[in-house]
Amino acid sequence: MTAILSLSNVGKSYGNVHALRDVSLSVRQGEVTCVLGDNGAGKSTLIKIVSGLHPHSAGEVSLDGSPVSFGSPRDAQAAGIATVYQDLALAPLMSVWRNFFLGNELRSGLLRMLDIASMKRICAAELSKMGIVIPDLERPVASLSGGQRQCVAIARAIYFGARVIILDEPTAALGVKQSGLVLRYVVKARDAGLGVIFITHNPHHAYLVGNHFVILKLGRVVLDAHRDSLTLDRLAAEMAGGEELAELSHELRGVDAGKVVPPASPS
Amino acid sequence: MSTVEELAARDDRVAGRPLAARVLSRPEVGSLVAAVVIFLLFMAVAEPFRNVANVGTILYGASTIGMMAVPVALLMIGGEFDLSAGVAVTTAGLSGSLLAWNFGLNVWVGVLFSLVLAVAIGAFNGWLLLRTGLPSFLVTLGTFFVLQGVNLGVTRIATGNVASAGINDMDGFASAHAVFGSEVTIGPINLKITVLYWVLLTLIAAYVLLRTRIGNWIFAVGGDAGAARAVGVPVRATKVGLFMAVGFCAWLSGMHLLFQFNTVQSGEGVGKEFIFIIAAVIGGCLLTGGYGSVVGASIGALIFGMTQLGINYAGWNPDWFRTFLGVMLLLATIVNLYVKRRADLR
Amino acid sequence: MTHRFRMSLLATGAAAVLALAACSSSGGKQSEEESTNAGTADTPRMTIAFITHSAPGDTFWDLVRKGAEDAAKKDNVDLQYQADPDGPGQANLVQSAVDKKVDGIAVTLAKPDAMKANVTKAAQAGVPVVALNGGIDAWQGMGVLGYFGQDERIAGRAAGQKLASDGAQKALCVIHEQGNVGLEARCDGAKESFPNIEKIYVTGTDMPGVQAAVTSKLQQDKAIDRVLTLGAPFAMASVQSIKDASSQAKVATFDTNKELVGAIKSGQVMWAVDQQPYLQGYLAVDSLWLYKTNGNTIGGGQATLTGPAFIDSGNVASVEQYANNGKR
Repeated sequence: MTAILSLSNVGKSYGNVHALRDVSLSVRQGEVTCVLGDNGAGKSTLIKIVSGLHPHSAGEVSLDGSPVSFGSPRDAQAAGIATVYQDLALAPLMSVWRNFFLGNELRSGLLRMLDIASMKRICAAELSKMGIVIPDLERPVASLSGGQRQCVAIARAIYFGARVIILDEPTAALGVKQSGLVLRYVVKARDAGLGVIFITHNPHHAYLVGNHFVILKLGRVVLDAHRDSLTLDRLAAEMAGGEELAELSHELRGVDAGKVVPPASPS
Repeated sequence: MSTVEELAARDDRVAGRPLAARVLSRPEVGSLVAAVVIFLLFMAVAEPFRNVANVGTILYGASTIGMMAVPVALLMIGGEFDLSAGVAVTTAGLSGSLLAWNFGLNVWVGVLFSLVLAVAIGAFNGWLLLRTGLPSFLVTLGTFFVLQGVNLGVTRIATGNVASAGINDMDGFASAHAVFGSEVTIGPINLKITVLYWVLLTLIAAYVLLRTRIGNWIFAVGGDAGAARAVGVPVRATKVGLFMAVGFCAWLSGMHLLFQFNTVQSGEGVGKEFIFIIAAVIGGCLLTGGYGSVVGASIGALIFGMTQLGINYAGWNPDWFRTFLGVMLLLATIVNLYVKRRADLR
Repeated sequence: MTHRFRMSLLATGAAAVLALAACSSSGGKQSEEESTNAGTADTPRMTIAFITHSAPGDTFWDLVRKGAEDAAKKDNVDLQYQADPDGPGQANLVQSAVDKKVDGIAVTLAKPDAMKANVTKAAQAGVPVVALNGGIDAWQGMGVLGYFGQDERIAGRAAGQKLASDGAQKALCVIHEQGNVGLEARCDGAKESFPNIEKIYVTGTDMPGVQAAVTSKLQQDKAIDRVLTLGAPFAMASVQSIKDASSQAKVATFDTNKELVGAIKSGQVMWAVDQQPYLQGYLAVDSLWLYKTNGNTIGGGQATLTGPAFIDSGNVASVEQYANNGKR
């Protein structure tokens, strides 16, 4: 299967800071590509390039085989690339249906009035397709749970014809149950035929849903592997820093944990 | 489609809210309750308040505030302030008057010039805000002082005085007065044209806010500009547009000021920007943006008009006027908050 | 955005083109007269600081300033006009004038307690100081050479007497600045000779608000048959209010400006108490010049009263031509 979106040797520098160097990556239809990395590894720079917030300064981004450079988030969206941000996905005080159609409002009639009835109907239908139940679509998004909010954003991206969906740390701020909810929708999005870029620093979440794994460190790709050639342990080890972790554990071996906190003695 | 109801029935964790709660959670409900309370209070204590013929006076007092409170509310929902809104009204009135008077032109030329200037001031506010990234509080505070000085300085250069010269003997004054300063008598009620403008502006703004795409964008840029930008909402254009809307309404108010009173004092309008903001806040607009109501802001203006004149109608000791006004406003805002909290709890 | 700006530029241009074809056949600046100049003294050039408490945009002070400027021109004086409505701020302006070593200071003493220290210091430093307009009860203790103004209470009393002789029953006194001692004194003075007066407070910087407030008061109390305003612009707004309230009341006012003189002429306003602000400004500067060049003082230790004088239908015609020059 050919890639919808591919990056080859893409780099980005802000002045003399190289935030991203020689990153190659491809996103295929019906696959989840996980991008892992610690804070400052270059994950958010990568998202900004793909979603059209910043232009890349080196290499090539191509869509369906032809090179592109997005001037604005609108351009990227028009090309079918939707981004679901961890914290700024939705306007908290707006109702669910208004958020769902924000930027893509349906209008009808001579006065180009909002077609509220249709929007509510479609919103309810799309959400129920994803298995989300929100009885009152007039409720502000702020009253939903974190997981529900992510799901509304994902459902929105799917409905508006996204072919590639970028999920920026969708599980980072969530509890175990809520994370499970979101991961289920990641799978649903994949099954709906989308190419998914799943940005995370949690290898366990990534391994549950991912087809392909890329680990970034200090702006470079340090691991690029398909699921077949990777185990969760290796992914976790690589993610945790491989050699660095080994060094750290060697260092910490001298410290007896039991000494630091004496076990509570029954009295 | 009945999927929503079916699903709601299946999932009993989140109950659907009863109709009453949904109505009570509208942002303008608190101000409506406060308005009714204040109305009943003055009905009870002030005999002239009960006289139907005096409705026109109360509505006039409310309309001159409401004409500006409406765009200011939109702007606040869009997440910004405009502290220059009060003196911009004076600038609009002065500029039209001075241009026509100084060059001996038809006053309609001044009217058009003033429109361009007022909208340009709004656009400048918005542009500067987005260009510098400074909070609108600071940017428009700067504009507020600049305009105050310009009002005084330019008026003195042009006329040698601190008020614009009378223009009621110039061509076009009669027709401009008819448009901006006329009044109609319906039965016993004498209604100024500003009341019509106020109602029209409220209806148009409420329609735009709740029933058009632009309204959706206004809520979004005020609620979360980042989220709005990410889904392709033109955040900059929306904000600049809102500032220009304030400019337009400042022009309309300024034209009324000019053609109602013939001359404009260059020191006028200082302090009114807060009245507009307070009316919007009473009407349920959040100071932080993203939430509020145009209808509420108009009710806020009505509360102001009723209180201001009700004290006169009641014949109370005027020494305590401002104290009473302050208490009234606090009560209105508290009622507003209380109603909103109760509604959210349901 | 630049596109929008271009649009507005275009619109401005269009308006200018339109303007050429849209001249008014009446009114405007051209139809106003040029003012005449008096001769100039050949005494050495001196600097006089003119420091008032005027709020920006009050038409009354235009007249004071014009008087001061005319006297300065005649006396070969470099006039430095400054104002701060805030007491301590105005006192600072006096101090800075002393620091600049001006030849004389004319100052208003509306807030005498705030001004006293700095004015006394100026007089002790050998800078001649005259007072005008406000502070008639306080100026003598500060080493000030003379005072030009009206006693607001006396002016108020005179206005009250005129109300009584007009046969008025009940009057409304419109105070456009809450907490201003001079305005209160006018109303209180009027109350002494015409007891049936009620005060109303309005916000002077909000003209539609003034109009609505006066209208509501007239609607509330139908017995009111006189509205006494304390500034010319508020008299004009009250004329509108009376119309709105379908009241039979008549307007009288303190202080004048060009529009008001026209309104007296057309009968919309009955009369105005004139404290001759032009004269206050003129005399203040001229007296300093006299003191510096000839050692003269005016008033013999007493206040020189510039008012109250009345402008009504009887003498309005003669005042009108001066009002058109912006000097009455």
